[in-house]
Amino acid sequence: MPKTHTFAGGYKFVNFEGQPKPVLEEAVIPLRVSVPLRQGFGAEGDCLVEVGEKVSAGQIISHIEKGVASPVHATINGVVEEVRRVNYFQCDCLMVSIKGDGSPGYQKVPGAAGNWEQWSAQELEKVLYLSGVTALDREGIPTRFHSSVIHPEDVENLIVHGIGSEPYNISIDVLLQGKNTLHLIEGIKILHKIMPKARVYFALNNQRKKILEEIKKLTCPFDWLEICSLEPKYPQGYDELLVPTILKQKFPYGYSAANIGAVVLNLQAVLQVYEAAAEGKPLIERTVALCGPAFKEPLHIKVRIGTVLKDVVSARIKEGVAPRFVRNGLLTGAELKDANLPIDKTYSQIIAIPENRQRQFLAFLRPGFKSDSYSRTFLAKFLPGAKKSCETNKHGEERPCISCNYCEEACPVSIIPHLLSKYVQRNIIDETLMRLRIFNCIECGLCSYVCPSKIPLAEYIKEGQEKLTIQGCDRNQCILPYFDNIRGIEEYRGAKEVY
Amino acid sequence: MKILRDIFENLNRLSQQNKLLKRLKPVIAATDEFFFGTAQVTATPHIVDHIDIKRFMSFVIIGLLPATIAAIYFWGLRVLLVIAISYTFGGLIEVVFAAVRKKEIHEGFLVTGLIFPLILPPTVPLWMVAVGVMFGVIFGKEAFGGTGRNVFNAAIVGRIFLSVAFPQAMTVSWSRPFHQGLGGFLKFSADAATQATPLALFKNDMLITNFWDLFFGNSLGCIGETFRLGIILGGLFLILAKISNWRLPLAAILSVLFFSFLGNLFAAQKFAPPLFQILSGGLLLGTFFMLTDPVTCPFTKAGKWLGGIMFGFLVVLIRGLSGYTEGVMFSILLLNVFAPLIDHLVLDVKYPALKK
Repeated sequence: MPKTHTFAGGYKFVNFEGQPKPVLEEAVIPLRVSVPLRQGFGAEGDCLVEVGEKVSAGQIISHIEKGVASPVHATINGVVEEVRRVNYFQCDCLMVSIKGDGSPGYQKVPGAAGNWEQWSAQELEKVLYLSGVTALDREGIPTRFHSSVIHPEDVENLIVHGIGSEPYNISIDVLLQGKNTLHLIEGIKILHKIMPKARVYFALNNQRKKILEEIKKLTCPFDWLEICSLEPKYPQGYDELLVPTILKQKFPYGYSAANIGAVVLNLQAVLQVYEAAAEGKPLIERTVALCGPAFKEPLHIKVRIGTVLKDVVSARIKEGVAPRFVRNGLLTGAELKDANLPIDKTYSQIIAIPENRQRQFLAFLRPGFKSDSYSRTFLAKFLPGAKKSCETNKHGEERPCISCNYCEEACPVSIIPHLLSKYVQRNIIDETLMRLRIFNCIECGLCSYVCPSKIPLAEYIKEGQEKLTIQGCDRNQCILPYFDNIRGIEEYRGAKEVY
Repeated sequence: MKILRDIFENLNRLSQQNKLLKRLKPVIAATDEFFFGTAQVTATPHIVDHIDIKRFMSFVIIGLLPATIAAIYFWGLRVLLVIAISYTFGGLIEVVFAAVRKKEIHEGFLVTGLIFPLILPPTVPLWMVAVGVMFGVIFGKEAFGGTGRNVFNAAIVGRIFLSVAFPQAMTVSWSRPFHQGLGGFLKFSADAATQATPLALFKNDMLITNFWDLFFGNSLGCIGETFRLGIILGGLFLILAKISNWRLPLAAILSVLFFSFLGNLFAAQKFAPPLFQILSGGLLLGTFFMLTDPVTCPFTKAGKWLGGIMFGFLVVLIRGLSGYTEGVMFSILLLNVFAPLIDHLVLDVKYPALKK
């Protein structure tokens, strides 16, 4: 068995109540979708369809003139109802609303027929680009069509991971059910064909020993693939920590792994790469885990991209619970306040936790059979089967910092959050903050999580970074001098146009 | 519970209107927050840890309970009176400062109010307790801005003030502890003793007190420092619960062992042997409960090691070469003074200047 790698700091989230059951439900084909033309990273394309036009699922509806992006597809068969600009995750984006007829069929990707092993790398790149899977995850999959900020020849390392270090994670058993383990290996082989210079690392939770053994047996003949088992400590699933832990390289905080030649992909992205190349399936569907104690039955569903959030969750919430919906990660995820907005390709979890404004009697003296804490002051830490409660109460008033140092111990990038936030609160914004590596912060939220004084440390650090930038101190001065082979920087920052 | 909730709602409403109650708003808020948790919800991150400062301080008090209960057993029910006076007068100062500044009362005082009596001699006059705690809270904490901003440990400041202002009462009169049957639980105060404390016995006559007596508390000393078994258990409990950091006590104890071993080797008439040094005086109480006070100790990990070593060196030095028999309180104060400098040096090494 390979050795377990890990990093300094971090915190293991264990056994929160409301974990999604390893059951996959095929969602009903929705009668209406709203497809955003800008999802995740990447530029927004121009809309190719008009109101009243008939579209079929899998038809490309956006055209990219310039910028880093991949095509966006219609996700159901039907008629275009409306094309308008909506405020979607803090930017105005074009949304195409389609009224569907309920039929499940889809249009296959042109050129995808038969054996992918007989195609050339260029043909593979074209099929993946046209299917839209090259836009998945943080920086996408590089092709010569500018689907990512770097070129496929620049990729030195490819990391495929299914770590699951968040409080709630999508289940690997659901993703790899049936023949999907073999499909995963095929997907990795497809990616190896596109990026032949890349060394591939497959990283999994070190507790999934059976799957690790299975994958090891299946990938024995490949000498370009290495298996890593990692400790599921939050935030191991972040690119900023996968690269240093697996590749032992320094990470340019504030930039992406693509800038140092590493592509990081989740298991679901690789499975969808296989489906695109071998079955010709375009990117119209996602497997999403519904997690959290506010759901009647937390499980996994397959949804068409563009399904309105209300249609998915409103019937599944417990009675009498006021839920808060969060996307993907509980510590850093965006709150989904508007239930009329759609689900897009960046979703892998929808977490619903109850809002709790109850003032609990003698809250600080309770034994805490269900309370999660970084300190060992609650009984839940000593009872291995205890399911930890999860709700939005702050559990304490904001108090002055006592320098208990929990935040420094938990920080995964070895900065000192309480010290930085004291400088920011007293408005002493100068090069000292840069020397104390304030720009290393990856916004994982652990410092605010562990603080007993309930100080919003992550917010203060972000404020400090913004104030420093306003004063003219650039984060490049802190990060770039330590790297000599960084590429794609201007394209990443948008300073150079990509055609 | 509902009745309590209603009482606080009414008080909150009245304090908006009534001028006197408005001044006392910090007290009402503190009592309200003691009984009921908060109604606030999170922003990002959407969940937070369940611990809060009240629980943090409550655990420190739980760690101090073995020493406190043993103190009542040894010195009688008068100890409870001393503790009550410490909380009352210190709390009064906190309330006055909070009312004048129009800020909230913070929980730091809960621990200071219990530690301060434990480092006083059992025969201390009650008025001296009040004066000491008030001095400590004003000049050790409030003058610097309250909890979280104090440079010195407030209890130590009060104790040193009393040592310097009233040296006779602090060094000459001690009591003999009860150690039979139910002991001090049934008596009010202990009889005065004509002997000296173990440290004074060594300094004057080179007598080493029996280790069992020192360990289980059958010796003379300050109110809370004699039941050393309880102190060690309480300290280990806090370290296991992650309330206290383990580096400082370990560094301090190893450092005392090392330097007193050296001292005993070369000048045995001045420096006591290592194990006796650990088990005598207020060293264990100071190491586990006052040195590890998170606000006043160095916050960096390397700083904690350096601070512990410095503390140990100073304790052995002051005990051996100065006119005082006990060096712990001065060493703690000196460590508090040096803590920011130690942190500054460690940060300079840990975060070197940026490459150009």
